[in-house]
Amino acid sequence: MLARLLQPEAKFVKPVLTLLCHHKWTMFDVALSSAGAHIALATSSDEKHPPENMIDGKAETFWSTTGMFPQEVVIRFQTMMKITNVHICSYNIRKLKLEASEMDESTKYDTIAETEIDETDSQLQQEEIQLGEKRAYSLRLVIESGYDHFVSVHKVVVSGQAVHQ
Amino acid sequence: MPTTLRCKCVIVGDATVGKSSIAQVFHSDGSHFPKNYTMTQGVEVLVKPVNIPETTDSVEMYIYDSAGKEIFSDLVRRFWDHPSVVIVVFDCTSETSFSSCKKWLERIRSQCPDIQIPGALLANKIDLDQRRVISPKAGKELAQSNKLEYFECSAKEMQNVDTPFFYLANEFHKLYQERVELFDSLT
Repeated sequence: MLARLLQPEAKFVKPVLTLLCHHKWTMFDVALSSAGAHIALATSSDEKHPPENMIDGKAETFWSTTGMFPQEVVIRFQTMMKITNVHICSYNIRKLKLEASEMDESTKYDTIAETEIDETDSQLQQEEIQLGEKRAYSLRLVIESGYDHFVSVHKVVVSGQAVHQ
Repeated sequence: MPTTLRCKCVIVGDATVGKSSIAQVFHSDGSHFPKNYTMTQGVEVLVKPVNIPETTDSVEMYIYDSAGKEIFSDLVRRFWDHPSVVIVVFDCTSETSFSSCKKWLERIRSQCPDIQIPGALLANKIDLDQRRVISPKAGKELAQSNKLEYFECSAKEMQNVDTPFFYLANEFHKLYQERVELFDSLT
């Protein structure tokens, strides 16, 4: 999609890039299942609300945790990515940790961000986490605690681009 | 396809009221009652799945059998983060164990004051009818005033031990369904 946007003649390129800067995450969402990402692991599984719902691009569908903390989910990208920020739409998450792994099938993860999200009342939490620039093959979200027994994650949008090796 | 919920069920109460016996009788489907007393040090965890009637869902109960001796109180509290449900046990032949119930409940609820935790108040040793000092009425009243459901059992006679666990598993399952509806309504 990006390639297609950048193809037009030079005079069109500039507005497109401005657009990309403003809506970076919609343009470069490398966590979308349609972009080749997939859920490698999730610690909760209600088949009515599977973890894949986080990366289908829709806020209406969600992953629901099914009790106890911590809860984890691993998103594996199609290839090695350089990621700059993560946007999470959720409900009832309190403490959240992001970890990245640079290896395929690796168990070695480095913590890249830790945050405490404010409680919201009958609306989704919208958390934007800036990462600078981190290399990641997979991203692990660790929900360490919540404002209730169960939390939901509606969307995980990861801005980034493929690393050309 | 069935959904499996995970429920952290913390059992508290004074020493020797029968917390471990209750946990073990429930866990073994009534095939094991520990005849000799062993004081629990710290916390023992037992896992047991409970099927929810009229659904294909189940709740995996992670039973945290906590030491009742005050000397372990700081230690056991470290295992009580994020409790899902709680069972407060007393010995119906001991006035002291009954009056401690409030203290135990407060300790659990102070872990997460803003979260609703379904709970049960459980009178044990009801087989010792002659020595009973806490009436069912007194038990029910304490339960009501603390938003708990009241149950009576005899771990020794393996009588009614499962009921509070089934009740709490069902309550937890209900809570889950309510929350999922809420999540659904947010978008």
